[in-house]
Amino acid sequence: MVEQKAVDTYLPVLLLLIVGILFASLSFVASGLLAPRKKPTAAKLAPYECGIVPDREPPTRFPVRFYLVAMIFIIFDIEIVFMYPFAVVFRQLHTFGLVEVLTFSVTIFVALLFLVSNGALSWGPAKILTKGMPSRTSDSTIVRISAATSTEQAA
Amino acid sequence: MIAATIPDLAVFFVGAAIIVVGALGVILAKNPVHAALSLVMTLFGIAVLFIEEQANFLAAVQIIVYAGAIVVLFLFVIMFLGVDKAEDITTEPIVGQRPIAAIVVAALMASIVALGQLGHWMVGTHASTTATTGNDVADLGRSVFTTYLFAFEATAALLVIAVVGAVVLARRVSPDELSTDEPEVAQVPEDLGATMTAGEVEQ
Amino acid sequence: MNLLGTDPLFVNGVSWAVVLIVVVKVVVAFAVLMGAVTMMIWFERKAISDMQSRIGPNRVGPWGLLQSLADGIKLFFKEDLIPAEADRFVFKLAPYLVVVPAFLIFTVVPVGGQVTLFGHTFDLQVADPPMGILLVLACSGIAVYGVMLAGWASGSKYPLMSSVRASAQMISYEAAMGMNVVTVLLVANTLSTRGIVASQGGSILHWNLIRTGFVPFVLFLIAVTAELNRPPFDVVEADSELVGGFNTEYSSIRFALFYLAEFMNTITMSAIMVTLFFGGPAGPIPNIPHLRWVFPILWFTVKVVAFCFMYIWFRAALPRMRYDQLMDLGWKRLIPLSLAWMLLVAAAITNWRWAIGVLAAIIIAAVLLLRAFDLGGARELEDQAVLPSIGARPLPGYVLRQLTDAEEVED
Repeated sequence: MVEQKAVDTYLPVLLLLIVGILFASLSFVASGLLAPRKKPTAAKLAPYECGIVPDREPPTRFPVRFYLVAMIFIIFDIEIVFMYPFAVVFRQLHTFGLVEVLTFSVTIFVALLFLVSNGALSWGPAKILTKGMPSRTSDSTIVRISAATSTEQAA
Repeated sequence: MIAATIPDLAVFFVGAAIIVVGALGVILAKNPVHAALSLVMTLFGIAVLFIEEQANFLAAVQIIVYAGAIVVLFLFVIMFLGVDKAEDITTEPIVGQRPIAAIVVAALMASIVALGQLGHWMVGTHASTTATTGNDVADLGRSVFTTYLFAFEATAALLVIAVVGAVVLARRVSPDELSTDEPEVAQVPEDLGATMTAGEVEQ
Repeated sequence: MNLLGTDPLFVNGVSWAVVLIVVVKVVVAFAVLMGAVTMMIWFERKAISDMQSRIGPNRVGPWGLLQSLADGIKLFFKEDLIPAEADRFVFKLAPYLVVVPAFLIFTVVPVGGQVTLFGHTFDLQVADPPMGILLVLACSGIAVYGVMLAGWASGSKYPLMSSVRASAQMISYEAAMGMNVVTVLLVANTLSTRGIVASQGGSILHWNLIRTGFVPFVLFLIAVTAELNRPPFDVVEADSELVGGFNTEYSSIRFALFYLAEFMNTITMSAIMVTLFFGGPAGPIPNIPHLRWVFPILWFTVKVVAFCFMYIWFRAALPRMRYDQLMDLGWKRLIPLSLAWMLLVAAAITNWRWAIGVLAAIIIAAVLLLRAFDLGGARELEDQAVLPSIGARPLPGYVLRQLTDAEEVED
């Protein structure tokens, strides 16, 4: 029974949790003692951008797809959570269980179909960049090169 | 009935302390990200209490669904949608909101205490009255997939509705709804458009 | 003493011998993990350099074996920086959230059979909670926080972008991972990792790899690789575009902890795969007195090392995937495929008539899904046609200048 090995079951998890936390914090302490303790310059503390001084704040907004994925994930996560107990008792439920889970899966699948057909899960590259600009042909290349050379000559 | 031991009490109090500290953190933290992290702490405390109650599966689900999915969404919105780092909490969004909240909370607490005093709650027994096998996942599975079958399938329908809702919420605005102050289309001369390929722009 | 109606967890009291064994197990697990990580880092560097015709680490210790140790020690002596823009509390918290789950996952892995020592028989497994395999999923759920918070707290552009990508990627593949775990559970009928291993006892034919029909293993492997942010799914630290990924701003020992956790996760996830699909420590045991307990550990190690090598091979051989390909693979291929295979296994367990019925249903579903792919793609193009999106934004200055300059010339 579960009860008899409760200590055996969760005490190690707890202990390893503590060991993990201790390991991390002791590493920080050791690093604090061993590392040079000089005051870092402003350049060191600036956000790393390959040596360029950042001239704007980091972006504060991201494409809505990221939030959509997080929302959809909650839904799929809940659906999968229902599957775990099902899988454990499946052999006791027999055909009845199979029918149940097929019904359930059909609804999951319908949700997925809806998402896919709406393009909600499409992360395709933005093809718009080429919009308004003719695609590259040999003619366009000739125009481009002649434009570039004429710029050079003008300069 | 088996008596709880000292370690049991210790686990309970530690779990309860984690929950309360986390809950206070949610309310008191000025930075919304810190508040969300305090919420994770509370959820973790609840998982500890579930384990203490031998509801292993629920403890795991608590972490997987609440901490692993729902608070992640909260954090996504807070972190990556440009919410202010510190909300100004001195102004009340709705006038009179706070006194009313205090009264409602006091009333709720009073009724809970009253219920505990007057009603005959089953205290100190195993929570479930049905025979258990000691395997909480199997017990849960059997009851969900037999007794509460309808509720289970209804949940599936509910989740599909949630999917539709999420997509509708996140859908792009239609062109008529677009405000006119969108940046103007950069005028690219017809012939010179060819001087610029997508690759160059991305550089 | 039953004041609060708590269900007793410690019914039989606490036996100090049991506690001692637990402490020993934890200490050994910690030591083994740390040792394995240093070896894994060395192995990865050495194997990759072999594959690229380089020599790799060869200075510290025999064959450069102590290289990772030396690197670790060096990092202790490095200046510990917290960027000015950082959220200091979260910045310091993030490494814990990455390292601690990495340790915890290992608790549920059965590394060997049973051993009797001083009259106590115990399993060679740190802990065997009844929801064992869910602990793994819970821990990988928590690990998302570490990545997410590290990038956000740095207050820097590239780490932030990286952490957005990484967290979206990790949660996407968690869904696929969970679905394949369900397939294994259908066969094993228990959530306990020891139970899952026990259900694969017997010959190689009893391994879940065979019993679930190979496909879930492949899907799980892909999902786990993405979950670990390892190549070919390492868009998170795509060096060419995102500098160093979410931990760019981390230096000194804080960086070392991220690095450590990454390799520790590689090892533990390999171990989880061995547990789920390859019978864990199962393997032939020669009848040598007093040494029989060694063989399960040996088999387990061999299998885990094989997986670790495979990850290294992936890294050397496969080009990195683009982000949209990655998300497409996760949501549009892995999840439907996992679901379909799970249902097929369930039907096959019931009887063959159901299996054929479900197979037919899956084929219809696949056709529908392919149609949905087309619809989704068309919808996307349509959106782009009506929305003056990126093309509508002011062009970068240098491009405009180029254009106007050219225009003047042509005039």
